[in-house]
Amino acid sequence: MQNSAFWLVPAASVLSLGFAAWFFKAMHAADEGTPMMKEIAAHVREGAMAYLKQQYKVVGIVFAFLTIVFAWLAYGLHLQNPWVPFAFLTGGLFSGLAGFFGMKTATFAAARVAHAANQTLDAGLRLAFRSGAVMGLVVVGLALLDISVWFVVLNNFIDDPSATHKLVVITTTMLTFGMGASLQALFARVGGGIFTKAADVGADLVGKVEAGIPEDDPRNPATIADNVGDNVGDVAGMGADLYESYVGSILATAALGAAAFAQIGDAENGFKAVIAPMLVAAIGTMLSIIGIFAVHVKRGASQRDLLNALGRGINLSSALIFIASFFILKWLDLPNYAGIWGAIIVGLITGIVIGKATEYFTSQEYQPTKDIAANAKTGPATVIISGLGVGMLSTVVPVVAVVVGTTLAYCLASGSWDFGTGSIGMGLYGIGIAAVGMLSTLGITLATDAYGPIADNAGGNAEMSGLPPEVRRRTDALDSLGNTTAATGKGFAIGSAALTALALLASYVEELKIAMLHAGQKTMLVAGEAVDIGTATLTQFMTHYEVQLLNPKVILGVFIGSMMSFVFCGLTINAVGRAAASMVEEVRRQFKEKPGILQGEEKPDYARCVAISTAGAQREMILPSGLAVAVPIFVGLLFGVPGVFGLLAGGLATGFVLAVFMANSGGAWDNAKKYVEEGHLGGKGSNAHKAAVIGDTVGDPFKDTAGPSLNILIKLMSMVSIVTAGVNVAFTLF
Amino acid sequence: MTVYLYLSLIPEALVASHLPPEEYGAYLALGSKKRSHGQAVFFKLSDEYARKKIEDSPIAEELRDGRLRRSAYLSIHRVLEHTPVDAIESLHLTTDDGRVLKLDHAGYEPIPGPRFHLYQEFCPITPRVVSELEPRAFAAEITDTSHAVSLPALVFAELVLERLGDDPEANGVDNLPYGGIEHLRDCLRELRAKPGKSTKLVVRHLEQDVLFRTIHRGFFVAGSGGAFRFFPMPTRQELETTHYAWWRSALRSGI
Repeated sequence: MQNSAFWLVPAASVLSLGFAAWFFKAMHAADEGTPMMKEIAAHVREGAMAYLKQQYKVVGIVFAFLTIVFAWLAYGLHLQNPWVPFAFLTGGLFSGLAGFFGMKTATFAAARVAHAANQTLDAGLRLAFRSGAVMGLVVVGLALLDISVWFVVLNNFIDDPSATHKLVVITTTMLTFGMGASLQALFARVGGGIFTKAADVGADLVGKVEAGIPEDDPRNPATIADNVGDNVGDVAGMGADLYESYVGSILATAALGAAAFAQIGDAENGFKAVIAPMLVAAIGTMLSIIGIFAVHVKRGASQRDLLNALGRGINLSSALIFIASFFILKWLDLPNYAGIWGAIIVGLITGIVIGKATEYFTSQEYQPTKDIAANAKTGPATVIISGLGVGMLSTVVPVVAVVVGTTLAYCLASGSWDFGTGSIGMGLYGIGIAAVGMLSTLGITLATDAYGPIADNAGGNAEMSGLPPEVRRRTDALDSLGNTTAATGKGFAIGSAALTALALLASYVEELKIAMLHAGQKTMLVAGEAVDIGTATLTQFMTHYEVQLLNPKVILGVFIGSMMSFVFCGLTINAVGRAAASMVEEVRRQFKEKPGILQGEEKPDYARCVAISTAGAQREMILPSGLAVAVPIFVGLLFGVPGVFGLLAGGLATGFVLAVFMANSGGAWDNAKKYVEEGHLGGKGSNAHKAAVIGDTVGDPFKDTAGPSLNILIKLMSMVSIVTAGVNVAFTLF
Repeated sequence: MTVYLYLSLIPEALVASHLPPEEYGAYLALGSKKRSHGQAVFFKLSDEYARKKIEDSPIAEELRDGRLRRSAYLSIHRVLEHTPVDAIESLHLTTDDGRVLKLDHAGYEPIPGPRFHLYQEFCPITPRVVSELEPRAFAAEITDTSHAVSLPALVFAELVLERLGDDPEANGVDNLPYGGIEHLRDCLRELRAKPGKSTKLVVRHLEQDVLFRTIHRGFFVAGSGGAFRFFPMPTRQELETTHYAWWRSALRSGI
């Protein structure tokens, strides 16, 4: 009976993709507005697609190269599971597809939302939200499809006499498509982040400094690139990022579930533990669809009504998954199902706490951001100092929430409150499933995330097309609603990244086990005694590889892992500066060679600016992304398994805290500027505003480039280590 | 070819141009090669006065036959005082990206208002002052040659003072976009403490662009013999609807 429950996963996938297609068709059937609106939308669409084409070309080359390497490791050196090259490819492909469909939808939706907002606020909300829902449902639909297909394929092709071991092999093999997803997500986030900020900063600087025109004025050649940037960064990048988080959390938990029951040879419960996270995600997807339909407002609704409508959708989905997950686990009859359900609830609460803390530290409604704005009175230096301070302090709640959440999830799932190592497998499974719980309603939370940039783009289109100012006010209202509701979604994304990375650490050990068995090793020495690898516990593996703090290789790894986060941020932040400089040069050239642009007599060459920003992003994303792949391999070759553990632990601890700091500092600077622009402390054009603008410009690459990429970096390093575990087992210098 | 005559306030100059006000403003703000930008405030002078001035000009022929460029400076010194107030037709406010708002003159009626006023002078000198005098009285006082300190003519605007207009000690004025709020309070306190003193200097001269959104009521021209002209600013609602493109640009000016 429970075996057939698995088919709920592909069913949820088909349902999700079906609704996404329906929403897309409905959006596409809507009127795109005036010829001017259509023309601007077409420019943005062309630019976005040109960017994606170039991005996928570069990523395709990297994927082809890595696939050949993995094929050589698998078929040439026999150090790796033969499925890895294929799984790696499909992970990347589906992640790329999620970004592609999201961007296609967003670029089609912008003008239509602007046109709808020209009629009423609620018409704008409905269209923007349904368009965002396409993105949310495509991401979860493709993820569940990829998981289902691979599970079915591997279940049929992997032949292993031990049912428990077969499950471990299936789930650890599936984890490797997580690497494809992570790598694609990193490229999308880093490339998109560099593009969007280079275009934004370039358009802003050159418009104001060179010609005194606003960034979203049609006379500004960089304005279309700026709009394209919103799509490639906030939509395609976010889509690929959350696809990676979603599959990463499900697959890591499934792998931990298989491992937990493999130790005691319980295949039946092992299978249940594997499909439990998939089922929670599948039911969560269905409940997200219900939540999406709950978001509706009456004609003439106020902004408060709209906010309530969005909240109603998210809260309904969350409440339903709260109840449904209990019955799923009870029906599966997993041992200690109540404890595992407790872990899911802990995950949901942790996500909400992080989201609320994020909102508190970054919203202009609260004191920290108001304090940063107040510091603008004394100049940009004090804005920067206070923003850095607020960002650093903002790490307290997320870190404490993750610590408490991890503790509770571990203890509840293991059924033991003393962190006993006897049930470590179930404890780690609890941590993984807590992350799954957070992301289970991704279908709707991502809809609220993605709808913000759509509304923002609709505002840009309205502005450039010369629609009445109330249209811009309506799209601004929609955008601002999105920012409020998206805070919770961001909390879930950050929290789940930390928990998933923690779960991936344990999955790395499972992969080591598979690699050792694959290499023909049956036993290993633990404290002088031979232990059977097949039944060895996680603790025995750690003892065998001497993963302890007194081992200098671990400490060296920790240092390198911590450094990686900073090097990665440094590279991406500098990349924004360089790419923005190229954009400034290009716009300067166009103004010089075509003086009629500023008088509105000549059309700027928008495509050239898009091409410049694209080339800059592609060029600049290679080094940081390459480092994220290469460093775990080199650390493994140099310092072996202890070094890799140190690297992952250092990368996780530093990367998580740094990501929160950068995202919150950047967000707080952005909203401090908005607070001043609302008319406080002198308002627009005042000295305080000039100082706040500088803070916002500094924060842009923090919050939109480096910060969001860090979450992927920490998981990608884990994924690379998992995929290359066989190499670590076979070769190490020290 | 039509030749327009403009009285530019920043800097003070009398300029003839073939460009109508909208285009002239954009030209002033952005320059011909679009490599410069900056606010501009100028008056369009009446056609009759323009014809007369151009006829008297040494470059009259070049102006008439269209040989001249977009702007020909006819005078750059003490221009305002030599321009009759009734020749001033309309005021044009240009943002730093070249958007132009035209203000027509209208009748002025003093309205009961706060005790203190903040005035920004534009031409021929550019200090910022606080005064107990309402605009027409201030104009009369500053152009009264019997005073030790006077000007033959002056263009000035009233700026928002919010609650400080009634009480120099008022709290909740953090949102005023002026630097040195405490100094402003001190100036207002001094006016309050010295009944015989009607005006007090706050800032010696204009150091940066004026934020058009801080203009309260409008602009005033004071001339000799009690000549006075008022150019009211549109209401906030009119700015946000009828003049939205200019207003949006004005809100971004100086950023």
